[in-house]
Amino acid sequence: MFFPASVLTSTLIITLFLLTYPLVLSLFSAPLKSSWATTHVKPAVKGAFFVSLLPLILFINFGMEQVVSTWTWSHTLTFDMSVSFKFDHYSLIFTPVALYVTWSILEFATWYMQDDPHMNRFFKYLLIFLIAMIVLVTADNLFQLFIGWEGVGIMSFLLIGWWSGRADANTNPRRHPSHNRVGDIGLIFALAWMATNMNSWELQQIFVALKGFNVTPPVLGLIIAAAGKSAQFGLHPWLPSAMEGPTPVSALLHSSTMVVAGIFLLIRMSPMIEKSPAALTLCLCLGALTSMFTACCALTHNDLKKVIAFSTASQLGLMMVTIGLNQPHLAFLHICMHAFFKAMLFLCSGSIIHSLGGEQDIRKMGALHRQTPWTSSCFIVGTLALTGMPFLSGFFSKDAIIEAMTTSYLNTWALVLTLFATAFTAIYSVRLIYFVLMPNPRSMTITPIGEANPQVLNPLKRLVWGSIFAGLWFTLGINPLKIPVMSMPPTIKLTALLVTIAGLLIALWFISPSGARIQTTLFPTPHHFTSMLGYYPTLVHRMTPKLSLMWGQTAADQTIDQNWLEEIGPKATATLSKPLITITSEMQQGRMKTHLLFFFLGLTLMCSMIIY
Amino acid sequence: MAGVGFRRWAQALSRGKGSGLSALLPGCRAASGGSKADLPSSYPLTPEAKAAAAKKYNMRVEDYKPYPNQGEGYGDYPKLPDKSQQERDPWYQWDHPDLRRNWGEPMHWNFDMFTRNRVDTSPSSMSWSSMCKTMFGFIGFMMFMFYVGEQFPSYQPVAPKQYPYNNLYLENGGDPEKAPEEVVNYKI
Repeated sequence: MFFPASVLTSTLIITLFLLTYPLVLSLFSAPLKSSWATTHVKPAVKGAFFVSLLPLILFINFGMEQVVSTWTWSHTLTFDMSVSFKFDHYSLIFTPVALYVTWSILEFATWYMQDDPHMNRFFKYLLIFLIAMIVLVTADNLFQLFIGWEGVGIMSFLLIGWWSGRADANTNPRRHPSHNRVGDIGLIFALAWMATNMNSWELQQIFVALKGFNVTPPVLGLIIAAAGKSAQFGLHPWLPSAMEGPTPVSALLHSSTMVVAGIFLLIRMSPMIEKSPAALTLCLCLGALTSMFTACCALTHNDLKKVIAFSTASQLGLMMVTIGLNQPHLAFLHICMHAFFKAMLFLCSGSIIHSLGGEQDIRKMGALHRQTPWTSSCFIVGTLALTGMPFLSGFFSKDAIIEAMTTSYLNTWALVLTLFATAFTAIYSVRLIYFVLMPNPRSMTITPIGEANPQVLNPLKRLVWGSIFAGLWFTLGINPLKIPVMSMPPTIKLTALLVTIAGLLIALWFISPSGARIQTTLFPTPHHFTSMLGYYPTLVHRMTPKLSLMWGQTAADQTIDQNWLEEIGPKATATLSKPLITITSEMQQGRMKTHLLFFFLGLTLMCSMIIY
Repeated sequence: MAGVGFRRWAQALSRGKGSGLSALLPGCRAASGGSKADLPSSYPLTPEAKAAAAKKYNMRVEDYKPYPNQGEGYGDYPKLPDKSQQERDPWYQWDHPDLRRNWGEPMHWNFDMFTRNRVDTSPSSMSWSSMCKTMFGFIGFMMFMFYVGEQFPSYQPVAPKQYPYNNLYLENGGDPEKAPEEVVNYKI
């Protein structure tokens, strides 16, 4: 059966149109009805998902990919900028995944945000975010990617600070743009380097013209950008702080889509990154450190959403490690698998928190498996997928990554850290299941526990299908872009599984009666270290603003006001003039000594002139 | 306050300076509250000046302490402790709950730095030096271990690929008439 190439373009343009149509309509129509979100936005995203399946099927069956270049923004003699879309392996797979997850989250949000007076605006923000994300993943030039990059950043800031009446919800969103801005500096540097050296921002042209260039500086800029957006170590505190926002925001932005934008950028630029061994090593080490550090933090936190946030950061570290192994397709596979089970975990957490009357502390939960069986089951499936339980979705990507690590030539410490992170993932997953779902109830007696609402259950059911089968579908239907190592010793092959089982056994021992006797207060220093995120936010978030604000105040007050405008300006005139005035007026006092002095000085001068 | 302001405005108007708007404006300015005496002045040199400054800033004399007189321009403004608003009691019924401040309280010189959205000076469970040592020690340890990991990398042992039939002699275009050189891949 023959499909013309225009089918691919048309379906994807229709997808974008379906998403933008409700937004455009809301600008021109009368005040929106209260059910606008349910009647316009959710069906639009659902429709866009089904439409986006056609290009995916065409890609899987016929290998059809396309680059579409349309309207020209700027056309100079040497530099062109146009609106261009790249519908390739990555964008054709990610778009339906993102739309599927968004559809589920929007349906959940119609229940979660039903009491919010500005629900329509909330859905509008989510829709704008989704459009920006699709612009980012389908961009064929870096300028367009940057537009999507900034778009997702702005919407994330607006959505995290949704409940602006609370001081914490006002303060914590500011961490997100401040950390992202540091990353954006790296991206802008890379853009500037490519514009000046390669004269183009089109990806095809950049990759073709790489020969002969030292690409390490722009690649470092890209890595900084990815570190900011994807919460790598050093720019990671914004991710747990972002949990102040509503749970649908955490599920969509801070687990499935926005946080992976940094990794996606590195995947897109992988032909450039692989030319710089130093950059690959940096990605490997940074990712391993992030993965292990955030997994340690997840072990000691008690806020359900924060633990899941740290888990997200740990998986992002793993994706960065995969980039460092020069396996971008594996990183992309993990992005897709991670989107399913992590979004589901966040929706489960939202349902649990709502059922317990807003309680987020896992120490005050328990025995929910009887009262919310569906949510509990989905929660368990999600955490098992996260640990890499064989043949769930997480297994196909995570196991492949660990195999690639153990069969590669790489930094030993990075390998050790990643294996530790894998074990810790199993430990905190078991810890979550134990505290949240078993054994005895520790919550308030009268709570609105219930999951009979289909708007809660249907999204969870949809995502659990993805968490169970997506891995199998993806690996059966889509060929890997690089050939994996086929032969290895059985120990290497089973490393991921053995490490996960070890973590599970350690966690089970801790929750057993014999292990429960070990108190955390016996080891206060490591516990403090991880529960305070390595003291990094405390030190950096207090020192940096204090120094900059103090210097700013000193500069404005003393340097500018007192020095430039007083000491060097008007006062300097008086200060410099005063000695001259004093000397001159001293000489005009009419003293005989002064007259005699000048007489003899003049006489000496005349004599010397006559003699010489 | 409103009554005092109105009285000043009426007095300014009754002085009859100018007409119309030019009479109204000084009156409005007089009604805006606060006089020149409420503004910060020079460094208090005598105990009486200190007491007057303390009263001006709505503080007790024993609590009032000006900035050192080093020509930095602080005048008689009180030197308040460098504590952020985040440290204040969240459950107290403040006049301004978001600022955690009561009306009439003296404001810190750097009050904009110590709002709840900015620098937080709340006490931490560990001292600043301990936190610095631990964090930088951790980062230093990681850097060192990454360096060691680069010196001793992890890899699977590899060897040159071995082919059968005397290293595929015929397939590589070897002369079938000649006896091929025997290739021994391994010995047992």
